[in-house]
Amino acid sequence: MPEKPPKSIKILSSLPLNLLLNGILIIPFIIMIYLAFVKWSPLMGVEWWNAPFNGLVNFQRALSDTRFIEALGRTALFVAIAVPLEFFIGLALAYLLQKPFKGKKYLVSLLIYPLMLPPVVVATVFYLFFQPYGPVNNIFLQYIIGPSALNIYWFLDKTLAFVTIIVADVWQWTPFMFLILYSGLSAVPKRLVEAAEVLGANEWTVFWRIRLPLIKPLILIAVILRSLEAFKIFDYVYVMTGGGPGTTTESISLYIYRLAILYSDISYAAAVSLIVLVLIFIISRLATKYLLEKR
Amino acid sequence: MDEEKSKRFDPSRRQFLITIGSTVVALGVGYALGYLTKPAEIVTKTITETTPPPISELSPVAQRAVQGIRKLIDDGVIPRGTTLRILHVSGSKAQLDKAIELWKKYVPDVNIELVTQGTEPDVYTKAMNEAVTKTGAYDIVTVFSTWLGDMVESGLAKDITSYFNKYDPGYVGTCAPIEPLGSYTTLYKGSRYALTLDSDVFTLTYRKDLLNNQNYKDEFKSIYGYDLKVPDTWEEVIDVAEFFTEKNLQSPRGGKVWGAYFYAEPAFAAYITWTNIFLEAGGILFDLNTMDPKIDSPEGRYAFDTLLKLKPYMPPEAVSASWADLYDKFIHGESVLTAAWPSLTKMAISSPDSVVKNATGTALMPGVKIEINGTPTLIRASPNPVNWVGIVSNYSRYPEAAYLFLQFMTAPDIGLEVVLSGVILDLYRECWFTDPNYRAKSVEGYGEEFVNAYMDALKYSYPDFIIRGGPEYTSKLTTAVNAVLAGTMDPETALSNIASDWDSITKKYGVDAQLAAWRSIAQLFPDTIKTAWRAKGYMP
Repeated sequence: MPEKPPKSIKILSSLPLNLLLNGILIIPFIIMIYLAFVKWSPLMGVEWWNAPFNGLVNFQRALSDTRFIEALGRTALFVAIAVPLEFFIGLALAYLLQKPFKGKKYLVSLLIYPLMLPPVVVATVFYLFFQPYGPVNNIFLQYIIGPSALNIYWFLDKTLAFVTIIVADVWQWTPFMFLILYSGLSAVPKRLVEAAEVLGANEWTVFWRIRLPLIKPLILIAVILRSLEAFKIFDYVYVMTGGGPGTTTESISLYIYRLAILYSDISYAAAVSLIVLVLIFIISRLATKYLLEKR
Repeated sequence: MDEEKSKRFDPSRRQFLITIGSTVVALGVGYALGYLTKPAEIVTKTITETTPPPISELSPVAQRAVQGIRKLIDDGVIPRGTTLRILHVSGSKAQLDKAIELWKKYVPDVNIELVTQGTEPDVYTKAMNEAVTKTGAYDIVTVFSTWLGDMVESGLAKDITSYFNKYDPGYVGTCAPIEPLGSYTTLYKGSRYALTLDSDVFTLTYRKDLLNNQNYKDEFKSIYGYDLKVPDTWEEVIDVAEFFTEKNLQSPRGGKVWGAYFYAEPAFAAYITWTNIFLEAGGILFDLNTMDPKIDSPEGRYAFDTLLKLKPYMPPEAVSASWADLYDKFIHGESVLTAAWPSLTKMAISSPDSVVKNATGTALMPGVKIEINGTPTLIRASPNPVNWVGIVSNYSRYPEAAYLFLQFMTAPDIGLEVVLSGVILDLYRECWFTDPNYRAKSVEGYGEEFVNAYMDALKYSYPDFIIRGGPEYTSKLTTAVNAVLAGTMDPETALSNIASDWDSITKKYGVDAQLAAWRSIAQLFPDTIKTAWRAKGYMP
């Protein structure tokens, strides 16, 4: 039996990687935590390491900042609507495409095509789609409700503007759900399905009792990954509505971007980012603990 | 048979990897062998030394810049072949390229390199990064004058007063940048930190063909009781806008012709219109003694009332689309009264898509009539939102050389060529309007009517928020103005929120420092506005 290498070898061999990781991840993170507790902006004319200590003031400010709280709530609402929509549409498509038919290969390729586009491109396209004379009003809605469709101003109404963002997100990210669920459903052993069918189970029962339980871990992973990603929504809001009208479609990422880049309010942006990070960490930890680990 | 065939064409993973690996190695070895056995290239260089043209053909301002840089080279202060780098936005590339082309004719030993950013916020972000990291990556940064406070306070902008006094960029006399613009875009707390590259003063741009139409004139008079003309006040703007909106005219491309289109959009421009009306009504942004926001005031409510009255006669996109939509609608004949940067007129008279090439009129921004010492007085003011200026980086290795390039590119002769070679930098020196030689060129680029109106507009122009945190103050205002016009917030709440937000920003940077900057910039507002402030007791 070969001897175990000494511990020092292990430490030394992983040292370069550790240094790299610490350099590019942990040190900036520590700086961010530091900045959240001081009062600093590049406009103050002092170096960040000389910034005055500010205690919990930035955090207290966040708790009384209605724009922050609204942006947080709005982003959560966005996740709560967009992710289930993407899941159900993705599941339906994945299920329907289980059966072989001519051209299926091409259809699957076509379905995952939106994933290849940069979100900013998708956002620009949807921004144009939803203009008063864009194809949504001019072709689709005009066909259904007549010429009055041309008077719909999607980006002037806070609810409609929010809907456009959801539509763009669903269009781009449903294929992600589809891809995972499609591969999961394809991997369900045929013998189990055939056995159930022999025992008289109908298609719905097979789906509900056999296919779905077997892909449950994949569903959970897909939903958690997608929710974390959707929470960071920025591109669609920035390009399509700019957070408007007013700030009624502003997402938390856009708000943090504005704090840090537009207002140079770096310390407060760091504090807000930290709060969001902690919230996401808690939620994702709870989700993995109760949904994945306790299975 | 089929099985054999499929076996032949179904390599194992190992075989597949070996094949791919071998191919890559073979390609690499082949390329290396080819490279090593390549015969040495014989390079023949022909060096042509051209003698720079005599500098006597340049204006005195440009001459001083060229002489200055040559002396720095001769004295060994900067080595020959030095490269200066300019951080700028892509929209100004053509104009900076022109400046570099002219510079290289006279100063071939100092190279200029452009570091181009896609959008204005990118320039701000890079500049702020440089202020923190101090790498010396840029010698010159072209910034909005609105950002000047931020650039100075963050330590990026160098105080160029000594160079300014030593080389004299022509800020006094008949060819100086028109005041007050020349001062308020380049001074901060009384010191010189920039040279102006541009003017961004708004004018009222209108459909001449519609306003001069006799049938409309008669009809308008019968309804409103006075002549249809270019409006002098915002009240008249509302009347004219209502009149033409209700006509339900159609543009050549089939869109509705709206009576007015003034900025109310969410990204950054909504504050421009609101602030214009607010200041003309005699409003002052901050108290000159305490720095308390004075926005939640009768003048603030008047500005909102005016905008809300105008809203039904503006296209709904005024509240939702980007700033460029105003340009698109005007050149396609879909708005009658509008206001924007000088480039709107440039575009209206020169764009191949324009349907208003011969129908574009330019006038001063409408004003507000207020009582001054018992006499109704029309107060006019023209916004100068943003306005590009050039600053020298505090971390530049050769700040004097960088300054000299700025002086060269803004000299009366060179500067006009630069302005006329692109879009985003516009006329700012007085002689470009008055000296017949220069004026002829200006008229060629902008049209006679615009050149006439624009010179007056420059005199009525007022500074943007050139104090520390300027972009933050304007952004909060823009968001609130947009929210009120979109109907998601009422004016009273908006004014109260803006005042509270502004107060927080002021406190963040320190009341005393902000007050000093505000007092300094308030002195540079045009006399019309200062008269109103005095009448209302806002200014001693």
